[in-house]
Amino acid sequence: MRIYITIIFLLITILTNAQKTFPIDGVEETFKPVYALTNATIFTSHNTVIKNGVLLIYDNIIIDVDSNLEIPQGAVIYDLKGDYIYPGFIDLFSDYGIAKSEIKKNTSPENKDAYHWNYAIHPEFTAAKEFESNSENAKNYLNIGFTSVLTHHQDGIFRGTGSLVNLTNKLGNENIILNQVATFYSFNKGSSNQRYPTSRMGSIALIRQTLLDAEWYNNNNRKTNVAFDAFNKNKSLPKIFDVKTVLNYSRLYNISDEFEIDFIAKGSGEEFLSINEIKETKFPLIVPINFPKTYDVTNPDDAQEISLSNLKKWETAPYNLKILNDNNINFCITASDLSEKKDFIKNIRLAVKKGLPQEIALKSLTTNPAKLIGVENIIGSLEKNKLANFIVCSSNIFEDGIIYESWSSGERHIVNEKIKKDIRGYYTLNSDEYKDYLVQITGSKSKPKVKINQIDSSGFITKIDQNKIIISNTNKFRSSSKIYENSIIGKYQDENGDYHNFVMNFDSNFVNKKEKFSQNIDTITPSIWSPNKSYGLIEKPIEEKIVFRNATIWTNSTLGIIENSDVAIYKGKILAVGKSLRIKDVFKSDTTGIKIIDAKEKHIASGIIDEHSHIAISAGVNESSQAVTAEVSIADVINPFDHNIYRQLAGGVTSSQLLHGSANPIGGQSALIKLRWGATAEEMKIKDSDGFIKFALGENVKQSNWRGTRFPQTRMGVEQVFYDAFYRAKNYKKEWNKFNNLSSRKKRVTTPPREDLELNILSEILDNKRFITCHSYVESEINMLMHVADSMGFQVNTFTHILEGYKVADKLYEHGAGGSTFSDWWAYKFEVNDAIPYNATLLNNAKVVTAINSDDAEMGRRLNQEAAKAVKYGGSSEEDAWKMVTLNPAKLLHLDDRMGSIEVGKDADIVVWSDNPLSIYAKAEKTFIDGRCYFDIDSKNEIELRDKRERNRIVSKLSKSKDKNKIKVKRKEKEKHYHCDTLDHE
Amino acid sequence: MNKKNITTLLLLITINLNLVAQNSSLFIGGIAHLGNGEKISNSVISVVDGKFDIVADLSKIRIDPEAFDTIYKIYGKHIYPSFIVPNTTLGITEIGQVKATHDFDETGKINPNIRSIIAYNPQSKIVETVITNGVLLAQVTPNGGLISGQSSVMYLNGWNWEDAVCREDDGIHLQWPSSYYNTGWWAEQGDTKKNKTYKKTIKEIHRLFEKALAYSNESNVMDLKMESMKGLYKGTKTLYVHANYASDITDAIDVCNLYKIKKIVLVGAEDALKVSDKIKENNISIILNRIHRLPKNEDENIYAPFSQAKKLSELGILYCLSYEGDMEAMGARNLPFTAGTTVAYGLDYELAVQSISLNAAKILGVDNKIGSIEINKEATFFISDGDALDIRSNNVTHIFIKGNSISTDNHQKRLFNKYRKNK
Repeated sequence: MRIYITIIFLLITILTNAQKTFPIDGVEETFKPVYALTNATIFTSHNTVIKNGVLLIYDNIIIDVDSNLEIPQGAVIYDLKGDYIYPGFIDLFSDYGIAKSEIKKNTSPENKDAYHWNYAIHPEFTAAKEFESNSENAKNYLNIGFTSVLTHHQDGIFRGTGSLVNLTNKLGNENIILNQVATFYSFNKGSSNQRYPTSRMGSIALIRQTLLDAEWYNNNNRKTNVAFDAFNKNKSLPKIFDVKTVLNYSRLYNISDEFEIDFIAKGSGEEFLSINEIKETKFPLIVPINFPKTYDVTNPDDAQEISLSNLKKWETAPYNLKILNDNNINFCITASDLSEKKDFIKNIRLAVKKGLPQEIALKSLTTNPAKLIGVENIIGSLEKNKLANFIVCSSNIFEDGIIYESWSSGERHIVNEKIKKDIRGYYTLNSDEYKDYLVQITGSKSKPKVKINQIDSSGFITKIDQNKIIISNTNKFRSSSKIYENSIIGKYQDENGDYHNFVMNFDSNFVNKKEKFSQNIDTITPSIWSPNKSYGLIEKPIEEKIVFRNATIWTNSTLGIIENSDVAIYKGKILAVGKSLRIKDVFKSDTTGIKIIDAKEKHIASGIIDEHSHIAISAGVNESSQAVTAEVSIADVINPFDHNIYRQLAGGVTSSQLLHGSANPIGGQSALIKLRWGATAEEMKIKDSDGFIKFALGENVKQSNWRGTRFPQTRMGVEQVFYDAFYRAKNYKKEWNKFNNLSSRKKRVTTPPREDLELNILSEILDNKRFITCHSYVESEINMLMHVADSMGFQVNTFTHILEGYKVADKLYEHGAGGSTFSDWWAYKFEVNDAIPYNATLLNNAKVVTAINSDDAEMGRRLNQEAAKAVKYGGSSEEDAWKMVTLNPAKLLHLDDRMGSIEVGKDADIVVWSDNPLSIYAKAEKTFIDGRCYFDIDSKNEIELRDKRERNRIVSKLSKSKDKNKIKVKRKEKEKHYHCDTLDHE
Repeated sequence: MNKKNITTLLLLITINLNLVAQNSSLFIGGIAHLGNGEKISNSVISVVDGKFDIVADLSKIRIDPEAFDTIYKIYGKHIYPSFIVPNTTLGITEIGQVKATHDFDETGKINPNIRSIIAYNPQSKIVETVITNGVLLAQVTPNGGLISGQSSVMYLNGWNWEDAVCREDDGIHLQWPSSYYNTGWWAEQGDTKKNKTYKKTIKEIHRLFEKALAYSNESNVMDLKMESMKGLYKGTKTLYVHANYASDITDAIDVCNLYKIKKIVLVGAEDALKVSDKIKENNISIILNRIHRLPKNEDENIYAPFSQAKKLSELGILYCLSYEGDMEAMGARNLPFTAGTTVAYGLDYELAVQSISLNAAKILGVDNKIGSIEINKEATFFISDGDALDIRSNNVTHIFIKGNSISTDNHQKRLFNKYRKNK
């Protein structure tokens, strides 16, 4: 973490009287008194307090603060006895005063001006240029204690710079403290109407390419580009990234790591879901406190539709800040993302109640934000010569204090009128109608309740405003009156509309049970599971030492299917396979803690590998905007929270290739994962594996089944896309080779070629370093791509789907391509008319490495049955069929050196089946990955009971909740399942 | 008689035998799954004039093989009654993405008068791949709208729809509104919300049924929609109510009772177990949603779709399986395997067979003639080399519809046979 260069600026220019460049209409008011705020408890910073202090202010500046200050003559004195003064809160994530205008409304695909080609990239945008003070919106902040905000245009991926502003009624130029304070970013393209990017992975690729381009532009500046100029100029400013969801933290971290850029992350309020991962990023955070609303659970049917993950979120969200603090994460708090800004104080108190120390709460609202953006010399604490930005409260703001005033830049804003007099007590009412009626005034100081039983036992409406009070019932007594030292005097109107004078004389104090504020801190944080939903894990499974005895073992090796045999696993690997293994021979000296499992009548096989899967992916499986999008990668958008991971573990799947969709001829890169349920996205990735990429042919890429206009629209065009892409890649390689071969002296004076992420990947294909999985259906296109590959000098690793593969099996074999097919899908499009379930067998018979894949979250959990279809259709042997979902996909993914069979030294990714795994009657009973048990049919019931108890516990908590703003709409998330054809419509 | 004449004579006899072969045939030694929950491990079954004549244990009766025109020795092979796929677009759609081949979703909301039967194509390339896995009948069903139209129970064989009919216009399909619906933009998970138009749609259903009830009592004009609904009140047509959420199922039953609809069948019924009392009380049967589906949400037991059948069976609720959903028509050939899955999750094997044969026939109102291997029922059945509910052993070698042997060839087998050979 680099230290931000603190912005050194001339205090004098900012802190003296603002220069008046605007003409004044009328007579200028030049006199400004000194204000002296006395007798208050002053928090000059989060950890320093002055009791009975004095705060002296002149114009917009604090001229002094201390306990015993001489008050200058002529100063206006406010006696704040009993009140608390805090430094004003600072919000680093705001769009205050910035109109929600759209950056561009150009419908042409090409940007013709001197900006970035993509409208989501506008680093040249400067908040100050658009900023206008807005007293209504300013009030929303002032009312909850904020006196300055860092505002920016919340639109696009590179959003430009933000300005630090005060919240006074003054003109914009007088409110701006600092013009360009930080630069802002996000993964969301915002109002850009260009197609690219359509997916999260597209945004990530666009960010990476832009960062490369900016650097290249900086070093080899030949033409003018306003966007890159601005980006490079502002490079040293703090960078604030709106991550939006917890899974984006690691995505941002990867960018930060690659480009050595430090970010401040604006979070989601759900950091507790991935706290360890977030801690590792070391990003300072800006965190919202938008706690989920209380669910209405009165209707049990409705309550049942609320997901456990949402119930748990509701319960745990208020602990988020405490958890961040416990993990020593440096954070600021923002009022952003709250549907009602006025909930801010309520929520911060709730967070304090859940264990956030008050000092940290104050720090994260004052000193922390000031330091993060390098303005701690101006704001964030109350010291001599700093801006007069502070708040005045009735008592401790984190307990029950009411904000009376917020001062921004020396301008006083009244939030709540201070009720000076406590009128509560017993009075005697007298008027010409009523004689000596007893009046009882209870309630709170600011909201007194009046009871005069002889007039109306149901009570009165009261409104108190300074020394005036209104006391009325429906018709007999509607009064306005004034409060005096020992009486309330006024007049009332009776039901006939006649006025009567009255006097209430104070008799005695109301003996009220003094409601003392008590702070019950909840010490027990709700347990957080990985992931925090049904079937989530409380603890990561341990690496086991096991000997399975007497099983039928599908070795996938030359041993074939062996009966009555044993398998030993140790340190995540297969240690031994054979009959009657002897513990001592196998485990040598390390024989402690060995589990022996009798697997009689069970079948043990290596875990299923799904060559074609789209589970566990967030925010788009297709970057469908362009015909070639090799630069995007599914590895950037793995979603480890997807419950399909657990479902598929229960179907015996241990590894998957998560593929980009098939919307374009050259799609994105794949992610190879093991289904390590409960792990992070990074932990799921299979280390040291080869890189793969998705290609696609046919109806999807030519947009046959939906409206599309981009090239290509025919199979003829598809061929040309490939030739074009690979010729571009060849040229690119040539250029780089030329440059790389220059002497170092010449290199220094030569402009290097621009690094292009898309062409990097295509070059890898040409260099045999990246491997293709190509979505394909009919023989003509399969043949075509092999011709393209042969002539351009690369090989197609795998044709996936390849439903007419049987028609060109000999050619596939000759080319060296494998086939990963559906067992029996057909008839869903015109191009699958000749798809036959015999395909797998025919390909296998032609010696093509053949796999059966799912491309579907449902089928993914029954791939063992799908393999059986190769036996049924065409008569493959059971052993061959089984290899189609285990060893063969491992081969296609270049993982067969460590997966796909039960052989000594391979990963202990094994499944215990109740029956022949090809049988419809077989259930996966235990699924191990790296020797860790991720699914066990015996503990499944317990987990389900735990989930049920957890649900009931939280629902009963909800049903007792007194929150009046319960939400009736349930928030169960819709299941989302991707297929290749899934297009994103953001 | 010279040699030549003898040959001629033999030939004549053979030809004669072939001509009468349909009249009586005998199946010896098969493992017979009768479809009514019973099994005969070593069976003898005869078919005479398209009907089952003898269904017995081979060891218990004496048979004179001479009395039969054709004899099938099927020792160790399995015999099953026709499997029946209800609630399917099979035969009225051909290619998913080609609209020209879609004849299952008529425009408009209330279409009780439209009839799937006349769009049914028994020559469909899909149909011939379904029959070869043992599914010989389908309830061909339109979908879409509020009232989708009428289904018919069809044989998956015939020259035209008229030849293929088993029961014409067996019922009307009502797509009960759902209390909850999913929102959110397509690529990002959205929220489930309460359907605000639910009440309004229910009112619409009330108006429709009260009007139809009035029409069925007395009418002086011809109203195609009302006319088509008459059968619901007479009991000649079933009302198939497609509903999944528990509260929707309860509402649907109450509304149908209110308007005195004689026979209702629930379709889908994912939440059936939550309202099993109500379903039993009203003696309602269920066409279940596809067994091979995902749990309805992240919280549902991951085995719930698989284990529902066993639980319904224990409760004594009559149900059958369907293959509704994605790739519904082409996937119908996997119906037997979904029944196999219910066995994996606890159901008795013969009851699983029953759930796709006799149960389906009962629910569709055709059990008087088909659905099980019982004396005097139509001989619509098939023979498989192995267990037909398990993928790896399902191998249908003989198919009979009304006693007639049907080809087991199909488009896909023809391609297989062409391409398995060397060039």
